[in-house]
Amino acid sequence: MTEGARITVSEDYLRGLEKKIEALTDVVKLFSTISATLDLEVLIKLVMEQAKRMMEAEGCSILLYNRKTKKLEFEVTLCDDDAASGILKEKVSLDLGQGIAGWVAANQEPLVIDDVTKDSRFYSGADRLTGFTTRNLSAFPLVGRRGLIGVAEIINTRKKDLDPELLKILCRQFAIAIENALYHRESLERERLRQELRIASEVQKSFLPQEPVFSKGRLTVSAVNIPASKVGGDIYDFTEPAEGKAGVLIGDVSGKGISAALYMAKIISDFRYTAHLEESPEVVLNRLNSRLSAAPMGMFLTAIYMVVDLGTGEAALSGAGHPPMLLVRDGEVRVMDVLSGPPLGILPLQYPCRTLSLREGDTLLLLTDGVFEAKNPEGERIGFNRIVEFVRQRGSGEGLLEGIVEYVNGFSRGVEKGDDITLVEVRWA
Amino acid sequence: MTIEMDKYRDATVMRLSGEIDMYSSPGLRKELLSLVAERVSPLIVDFRGVSYIDSSGIATFVEGLKGMRSFGGRLKFVAVPEGIMEIFTFSKLDRVFEIYGSADEALSG
Repeated sequence: MTEGARITVSEDYLRGLEKKIEALTDVVKLFSTISATLDLEVLIKLVMEQAKRMMEAEGCSILLYNRKTKKLEFEVTLCDDDAASGILKEKVSLDLGQGIAGWVAANQEPLVIDDVTKDSRFYSGADRLTGFTTRNLSAFPLVGRRGLIGVAEIINTRKKDLDPELLKILCRQFAIAIENALYHRESLERERLRQELRIASEVQKSFLPQEPVFSKGRLTVSAVNIPASKVGGDIYDFTEPAEGKAGVLIGDVSGKGISAALYMAKIISDFRYTAHLEESPEVVLNRLNSRLSAAPMGMFLTAIYMVVDLGTGEAALSGAGHPPMLLVRDGEVRVMDVLSGPPLGILPLQYPCRTLSLREGDTLLLLTDGVFEAKNPEGERIGFNRIVEFVRQRGSGEGLLEGIVEYVNGFSRGVEKGDDITLVEVRWA
Repeated sequence: MTIEMDKYRDATVMRLSGEIDMYSSPGLRKELLSLVAERVSPLIVDFRGVSYIDSSGIATFVEGLKGMRSFGGRLKFVAVPEGIMEIFTFSKLDRVFEIYGSADEALSG
């Protein structure tokens, strides 16, 4: 039987070892806390509570770096006085280089100051506001993968013997965990916005005609509306302004997103009200123009409104800065620039009107700019002329609208559409 | 999009480049509205470097124009590239905005 060599150690040495084990156990706990949650507030509080205990400190703070304002802002402060955290969060922010935290952030180096009264870098404004007395202060930069995240501060600690290398690794892990939590928060926010846009898009669709086809006598009008993921402001509508007359509107509200969707909702109710009272398309546009003149943020509407006499096929048209329409007659495609004023809601003026006699077999195609502004993966836009050329080659036979949508999708090859696509086809049989 | 402010003779010049769309127009709006608030006139907007403008961008200029008109100020566009000019003529906005070939033409117009 062999016996290990006996060594004699002092009690102090054993105590020292015990303490080191305790400290390492704390560090291990801290590591597992750091990776335990993606909730930013919970993460910061948990880590700081443990760090405060481990460092036998009276307080600690996390300042996060705001990339927009380029300032350090107190995110959370833990000390015996709960009010202090709120005061610091609301009232104190530091420039890079200002105060100890600012110095640490600017230099990305930790700093341990045993007596802050002897260090000119110390910013006493925070103590004045909170009534707290800082004696010693250790500050550590939190640097993540995309650079500076913030600064961690430990205030009035009784423990001075912590391994600086270990602290450095801890801070790095903590910074990455904060970064992950920030990413997570951003992605939740993005998802929430996407959800809201989806709802806005649904609500917007409910303002459009229930049925995309309107048929009366020799007139058949069909429409396709594909909202973009960002929610554009395309509208179309069918009206019956008087006995024996049918109206067709196509329009596009400037801008995108929820503001455009909301404004489009207002416009469509204004339009329906006016179109019910007035027969002439230019009078309807004049009325809409004055109603929209107080539009917020320069918002405007491009539109074409036409009213067709169901007995004679005589169409009256008025336009407001909207892309031209196409007339397919006897196999020929003509670009018809509707006699037009600028978009509605910009200038006080009278809109012109022109007439067009529809002939048997005629097809009019109205569209919004989302159709020809679709992009392919190379960033090239489809352009108005390509759409004209496509219709020229394809002809106006059955399924024209679906054919154009397919053509646009084929061109954009999966590139997300930046704007709504609306097509309205008017056929005179 | 980038915005550079400059002076030419007695006019303030705003030089734009890049794409003016729903993402960049809030920055442009802030700048334009502060110029309107300071009653800067004439304001010349140089479009030389602009590759694209969408309806959010145009609406921003409409708002700027309305603001300028409220105090009798003038907003003038110069050096509008062909592609952007097409967007303006297509939507009859060439009748809304004052468009000139150069800053000198804008100042004598």
